[in-house]
Amino acid sequence: MITRLGLRLRVFMFFAALALGNLAAIGLGLYFGYQRIADPELISAFVQGAIIAGFAMLGLITWMWFLFDQNVAHPIEQLASGIRARTHAEVASDIDHTAGRYLGDLAPAALAVTQHLASTREALSEAVQRETTHLVQLKDRLEALLSDVPVGVLLCTPEHQLVFYNGHAVDLLGGLEVAQGPGLDRRLFDYLHPATIELAYARLREINDADAASDLLCATTGSAKVLAARMRLLADDAAGPGGQMPPGYVLTLRDVTGDLAAHEAREALVAEFLDRVRRPAANLQSVIGVLAEQKGLLPEGLEGALSSEAASLAHAVNELAARHDAERANWRPLPMVRASDLTEAIRVRAAVDGVTVALDAAALILRCEGFEIAALLAALAVRLAPGRRDLALHVTEDGAGALLALSWLGAPVAVSELDRWLDAPLEVGLANVTGRRVLQTHATEIWPEPGAGVGARLCLPLREARRAHKRPAPVLRSVVYDFDLMFKERAASVMEARLEDLTYVVFDTETTGLLPAQGDEIVQIAGVRIVNGRRLEKEVFDSLVNPGRPIPPGSTEVHGITDAMVAEAPGIAEVGRRFHAFAKGAVLVAHNAPFDVEFLRRKQAAIGAVFDHPTLDTVLLSAVVFGQGEQHGLDALTHRLGITIAEEARHTAIGDALATADAFLKLLPSLKARGIVTFGDVLREVRRHGRLLKDLNG
Amino acid sequence: MADGDRKRRVLVVEDEDNIAIALDYLLTREGYDHERIASGAGAAERIRASRPDLVLLDVMLPEVSGYEICQDIRADPGLAGIKILMMTARGSAMERRKGLALGADGFIAKPFELKELRAEVRRLLGSEEGM
Repeated sequence: MITRLGLRLRVFMFFAALALGNLAAIGLGLYFGYQRIADPELISAFVQGAIIAGFAMLGLITWMWFLFDQNVAHPIEQLASGIRARTHAEVASDIDHTAGRYLGDLAPAALAVTQHLASTREALSEAVQRETTHLVQLKDRLEALLSDVPVGVLLCTPEHQLVFYNGHAVDLLGGLEVAQGPGLDRRLFDYLHPATIELAYARLREINDADAASDLLCATTGSAKVLAARMRLLADDAAGPGGQMPPGYVLTLRDVTGDLAAHEAREALVAEFLDRVRRPAANLQSVIGVLAEQKGLLPEGLEGALSSEAASLAHAVNELAARHDAERANWRPLPMVRASDLTEAIRVRAAVDGVTVALDAAALILRCEGFEIAALLAALAVRLAPGRRDLALHVTEDGAGALLALSWLGAPVAVSELDRWLDAPLEVGLANVTGRRVLQTHATEIWPEPGAGVGARLCLPLREARRAHKRPAPVLRSVVYDFDLMFKERAASVMEARLEDLTYVVFDTETTGLLPAQGDEIVQIAGVRIVNGRRLEKEVFDSLVNPGRPIPPGSTEVHGITDAMVAEAPGIAEVGRRFHAFAKGAVLVAHNAPFDVEFLRRKQAAIGAVFDHPTLDTVLLSAVVFGQGEQHGLDALTHRLGITIAEEARHTAIGDALATADAFLKLLPSLKARGIVTFGDVLREVRRHGRLLKDLNG
Repeated sequence: MADGDRKRRVLVVEDEDNIAIALDYLLTREGYDHERIASGAGAAERIRASRPDLVLLDVMLPEVSGYEICQDIRADPGLAGIKILMMTARGSAMERRKGLALGADGFIAKPFELKELRAEVRRLLGSEEGM
C-alpha cells in the first residue's frame, strides 16, 4: 500500500512520523518528570519547556525534511523521470545531473546509462536506416535487372498461379493486346499449354534438388508462339512453414518461334542440298565407274582424273551427309529424361484413351525431348491397340544410347501404315508436330520388327543415354550476388590490399600419407570461397581424386576414403585444373598451408597450371594472435574460437576447410586490433614470428 | 552346287534411269541374269513371280517405299531365300539399322563405288553358293 505512494510523500510521511514520535517522547518525558515532582506550581514551567522543545524539534525535523526532500528525494524523482523519459519517450537531450549532486555517483551513472542508451539507439537506427536503404537499393537493382533481362521471367505457385512477371513476359505471353497480358493470380495455363510445364514440374519435384533446372519447350495458347523455357523450383524455405507445401517455381521464357523457323528453313535447305547433289553424284560415280572399266574407251590419264574426281565428290557428299546426320540432333540441346519418367508419361497419356501399356524400363537417363517422344509413343500405342493385346513398353540399353520398344501380341504392323501414322499431327501443344518431325528432331528412325513368338514390336532407338547412378548429394549452388563488389575499390596490389577486401579460397586436402616426396598423393580436395569477409555458402569445391596408387589402410582410417571410393574419380590433373580455376584470383588459405600447397605444386606439370597464389596459413595466424606458447592444431584453434566441427565432418576435406574458413574469419578482427590491416602487414608479422612463408609467397 | 549352271538372277528396283544403266552394265559384266523395275508399285508381285536370287532395292521409290517392299518379301515364307541389298541416298546409321531390321541382307549408301557394290553383290550371292 505504502509503496504505491510517491517517494517524496513517503519521505515526508517518514519525517512527519519522526516529528510526531519526538513530540510524543518530549510530552511523555515531561509528564513523567512532573508526576515525580507533583508540584502544581511548576506545571506552567513544564508546559513552556515542552512547547519550546517541541517547536525547536519540529523546526529541526522540518528543516532536515526540507533538505532531504530537496537534495535527495526530489533529485531521485527527477533522475527517475529523466531515465524514464529517455527510455520510453526517446528524449534526446542529456539528463540534468547537477540536481543530483548530493546523490554521489548515482546521477553520473544515470547520465552514463542514458547517454549509452541514446548512442546505442542512434547506432541501431542508423544501422536499420542503412540496411533498409541498402535493401531498397538491392531491390531496385534486382527489379531493374529483371526488367532489363531479355527473357520473360515468371514466378508461379505450385498451383501454377502467377505471382510475378516482368515486362518481357507480358510481351511474350500477351501479344500486342495489353488486356491479354498476364495478370497476377491468374493461371499460367491461361497463357501456355500445360503438358510440358506439368511434366517438367513433376520431373523437378522428383529430382528434389534445389539446384536442378529443367529445359522445356512450350507454346502459347493464343498465338501458338513456341517458347524455350527453363524451370527452376524455388528453394524450400520459401515454400511455407516447415517446407511442407510443394515449392513454387521460376520460369524463364525465350521466344524461339523465329529460331525454330530459321532452323527448319536451314535444315530443309541443307537436306535438299545433300539430296539433290547426292543423286547426280551417285549416278556420275557409277557411270564413270562403268566407263573406267571399259578399257581403252577413255585416254588413260583422263580416265584416272575422272575416276578420282568422282570418288572425291562421292566421298565429300558421304562425309558431309554423315556429319549432317550426327549434328542434326545437336542444334538444340535435348534435355536428359529419366526412362521411368518417360514411360510413365506414355502410360498415362495412353490410359486417357483407354489403352493399357505395361512398363519395363531399365534405370537409364535418356537424352530426348520427353514430351515429344511421349506423345509419339502414346499415339502409336493408341493406334496399335485395336485388335492387339498386351501392349508393353521396354527401355533397354543400346550401345551408347537406348532402345525404346513397344511390343504387343497380335498382328504385325505394315511399314506403309506406320508411315501414315507418322504423318499425322501429334498433341504436344505445338503446332505442326508430326511423328516424322519428332524422329527428325532426335535424328532417329522407327521400324516394326517381328517379336518373339506371336507378337511384334516397334523399335525407336535414341542416340544418347546414360545409366542412372545413385544421385550424388547435390552441391549447393545458386545465383550468388553481392552488389557491394561493384563498388569495392580494387587494391593496387595484394600486398597493400586490406585483409577484408581480399577474396580467399580456404581449402584442405586429404592424402594417402604425409610424404609427397615419397609418392603420397591427394585423394580429396575441398575448398570454400570468402568474399567481402563472408563465407559463400554456395561456392563450394569438393572432389575426390583418384591417386593412381592404393590408399594405405592407416590413411583410410583417418579420412575414411577407400580405394573403391576413388576408383571412378578423376585424377589430380583434372581435379587440380578445376580447383585452380575455382581459386583463380584468390588468396589461398589452409591450416598448415605448406603441406597442402606442396602436394599441389608437385603436380603442377600434370595440372598444367601454377599454384602461385598469395597464401596464408592459419597455423601462423593463430601464432600471431594467441602467441607461440599455445597449441595451434585445427582442433585446438577451433575449440579456442568456439567453432564446432561435426564429428562426421572432421577429417573430411570439406569439413576441415569449412572449419578453417570460420576460424580464419574469427582471426581477422584480432589481427586488425593488433594493427595488422593489409596482406603485407600479415606477411611481415608472420615473418617476425619465425616460420617463414617465403617459400609460398616469395 | 545344284544350281551351279543356272545364271544368278538379280532384280533391280530403281527409279533413276542413269544409275540403272550403270547397274545394267555391272550386272551384265558379272554374268548375272537381271531385269529392272522403275517403280515400287508392283515390285512385290514381280519378285513373287520371278523369284530372283537377289533384289537390288532402292529405298526412295515413288508410290511404295523400299522398306515396305522389303517387309513384304520378308513376311512371305515362300520368298525366304531371296537376298535383299538396299540402296539409299540417305545413308544414315539409323536408316541402315531400319533396313537391316526389316530384313535386308545388306545396305549400301549412294554414292557408292562400283567395286564396293560388286563386292557386296558377290558377298550376298556367294554366301548362298556356300550353303
